[in-house]
Amino acid sequence: MKNLKRTLSMALCLILMLTLTCVPAMAAGSVKIGVLVSDATSSEALAFRAYYTEYIAKAYDVEFIYSDELTDAAGEKSSIENFIVNNCKAVISFSSFDRPAQIEQCDAAGIYYAVATGTLTDEQYEEYKDYEYYVGAIGPSMDIEFQTGYDMAAYYIDQGVTRFGMFGGGVPYYVDMHIYRAAGMLTAMVEKGGEGANYKGADNAGAIIGQIYADGGIDTGKIGNLELVAYVGGYDFNDAWFGKLAQMVGTEGIEAIITVGSGVDVLGGFVAGSGVKLATVDSFTPAMGEAMDSGILDYMAGKFAASIGPIFAATYDAIQGSPIRDSEGCALALGQGFWVATDSEQFQQYSAVDSSNTDPAYTREILDQYAAPGVSFEDFAAFVSQYSFDEIVTLKK
Amino acid sequence: MGKQTWKERIPTFASTLGLLVLIAAYYIIGAIRDANVAYGLKAVVNQSVVVALVATGAVFIYTLGSFDISLGAATGVSALLGAMAYNATGSLIVMFLVCIGVAVVIGFINSSLASVFNLPIFVTTVAMMSVLSAFMLILIGWNGAGDTIKVKARDVRPLDNIPFKVSMLVAYIALCWFIFTLLPTGREAKFIGGNPICAKLSGIDEKKLAIIASLISAVGIGLGAFLTIVYAPTLNKDTASSIGMDVIIAIVFGGMPVSGGPRSRILSAVVGAFSMGFLSQIMSMLNLGSGFGQMIKAAIFLLVVFIALGSQRSKLLTR
Repeated sequence: MKNLKRTLSMALCLILMLTLTCVPAMAAGSVKIGVLVSDATSSEALAFRAYYTEYIAKAYDVEFIYSDELTDAAGEKSSIENFIVNNCKAVISFSSFDRPAQIEQCDAAGIYYAVATGTLTDEQYEEYKDYEYYVGAIGPSMDIEFQTGYDMAAYYIDQGVTRFGMFGGGVPYYVDMHIYRAAGMLTAMVEKGGEGANYKGADNAGAIIGQIYADGGIDTGKIGNLELVAYVGGYDFNDAWFGKLAQMVGTEGIEAIITVGSGVDVLGGFVAGSGVKLATVDSFTPAMGEAMDSGILDYMAGKFAASIGPIFAATYDAIQGSPIRDSEGCALALGQGFWVATDSEQFQQYSAVDSSNTDPAYTREILDQYAAPGVSFEDFAAFVSQYSFDEIVTLKK
Repeated sequence: MGKQTWKERIPTFASTLGLLVLIAAYYIIGAIRDANVAYGLKAVVNQSVVVALVATGAVFIYTLGSFDISLGAATGVSALLGAMAYNATGSLIVMFLVCIGVAVVIGFINSSLASVFNLPIFVTTVAMMSVLSAFMLILIGWNGAGDTIKVKARDVRPLDNIPFKVSMLVAYIALCWFIFTLLPTGREAKFIGGNPICAKLSGIDEKKLAIIASLISAVGIGLGAFLTIVYAPTLNKDTASSIGMDVIIAIVFGGMPVSGGPRSRILSAVVGAFSMGFLSQIMSMLNLGSGFGQMIKAAIFLLVVFIALGSQRSKLLTR
C-alpha cells in the first residue's frame, strides 16, 4: 500500500514537472489571439478550430488561445479576462451570450474584438460601430439566416412536397438564428401555399417572425395547400424528446423534414430507411458526407470551415495597425452565407476543399491578396461577398 | 499529546501550502509566458469570489456531514429574481435584498422539508435542484425578452470592482468564522458531523442545526447571486450552473473532509476557491487546450487532497 501511494505521488509529480518543462517550448507564436467558443465539440466547431489551429496558426505564426466551452455571459467575461492576462492582442468570438459586454470589455482593455460566423443586431451595430477596437462582424446576417430557411423549404415545395415536418432546435430558447431560419421556412410555405395561405394569421415575413417570438415555438397546421404536420423543438435529449422525434418521422404522409440545424445528429437515426427526406443546416464534415452518401441527408446548407478566414484577416490587419473601416470610419458588418449541397457528388466536391489543412478555401495567398493590411473597405467587402464555392474557386485560380 | 513532527504537520497545512505553491507557479509561468500577472490577480478575484462566498456558507452544511447539490441552481434562481426585481424597481438595494431573501427562502424550504420528512438534506436538495432548474426556465419565459434576463451593465458597473467584492467576502467570512468558531452552533455542527449518534444522545438538536446551517449557507448564496449579477448582468438558464460542482471542489481542495466533522474549517472554502482560481489562470497561460488542461488540473487536485487528507485516514475518532 505504501508503495502504491509513493507510485501515485511520483506519477502526479511527474505530470506536473512535464507540464512546467513544456512552458518555455510553448512560448512560440508572436501574436496571440483569444477565441471565445460556446460550442467546442460539434463537427462544425471542430472544423473551425482546425482551420485556425492547423492552418492559420502555422501560416501566420499566430497563437490561438481557446476558451472552454462557454454557457453564459459570466464565462465569456472570465475568458476575456484570461485572454487579457495572456497578452492577447485580439479576441475572435463565436459566443453570443452578451456581445455588447464583450465589445466593451475588449475596448476598455485596448484589444481588438471581432465576431465570427455571426453579426450584431442593427441596434448593437449602431452603438458599437465607432468603437476603436471593434473590428466588426462577418457571418450570416439574420437576413441570410432567413433566406437559408426560405430556400430550404422552397426547394422541396418546388419539387411538389406538401407535407412537412420541422425541427426547431433553439427556437424555444429564443436563439435568433434558428428563429429566423424557421421563419424563412414558414414564409416560403406561406408564399408558395396558394391563395390566402398564412401561418396563424401571419402572411408576411415580419409578422411570422413576430409570431414565433411571441409563442416561443411553432404550431402545426395547414398553410394554404401545404401542411406542417409535425414540429419538435429544443434540445432536451431525454426519452420523451427522442420519442417525439421518432413520432415525427413516423407521422403518416410526411414527406420531408426541414430542420434549422443539427438535423442529422438528432433525426438521422430515425430517418434512415424511412423514405422521408431530411434537410439541415450544418457543415461539410465527414459525418454529414456519410449521411448524404447513405441517403439520410438530402439537402444541406453548410458553413465552410474557412469562412472564418476573412474575419481573421481583418483582425490581423487591425493588430498590424491597419484596421479596415468603411468610408465613415465604422467597423465591418458584412454578410456571408452558406454553401448548399443537394447531392453526394456536390457535397464531396465542397468537402474536399473545406477539409484541407494545406489548401483550404481561403489560403494565406488569397487572404494576402484580398485582405492584406492597407486593403480598402470596398475591396474587402467585395472579396467577402464572393463566398459561394464557385466564386472562391475562381478567386483561387 | 506529544509534539507534532513536521511530517505530521504537513497535511494540516497542505491546502494552504498548495495555494502558496500555485501562487508561486502563477508568477513564474506568468513571467516566462510574458503574461499580465497584475491583471491576472484581478481576474482570480473576479472568478473566485462567488465560489468563495457560496462555499464558505456551504461549509456549515458540509460540517454536518451533509451535502447540498442545489447550490448552483439556488444561486441562479436568486440572481434571476434579483435581476427581475431590479428591472421592476431600479433599486440596487431591492435587488440585493431579493437575492438574499430568495436564497433564504430556498434554504428554509430545503431544511424544513428535510426536517418534516426526516430526510437527509442531500435528498431534498437533489429534488430542489430539479425544481429550481425548471423554475429558471419558467422565469426566463415569464420575462418575455428572449432567452436572457438582463440588467443594464452601466447600472451595476460601479459595484463591479475588487474592493467592493473583497469587502463583501471578508465581511461574510468574518460572520461565518464568528458563528462557526465562537458560538456553540459551530461546535455542535462539528459534533454532529463527527458522530451523529453521540451528538444526538448529548441533546443536540440535529434538525434545528440543519435549518441554521441552511440559512447561513443561504446568505452566502444570496451574496453570490448579487455578485453574479454585478459581474455579468446578462443571465440565462445556465447562469451559476457550475457553482455546485465548483463549491464541492473548492471545499475538498481547501482540505476539508466532505464527510464534515471536527476537521471542518471555514477558511477551507476560501483557500480552495482561490486555489482553483490560480490553477485556472495557470492552465490558461499554458494554453494546453481544455482537455489536457482539465487532466492536469485533476492531477494537481488529487495531489493536494491526497496530502491534505493524509493525516486523517489513520485516525479512528475523526472521519
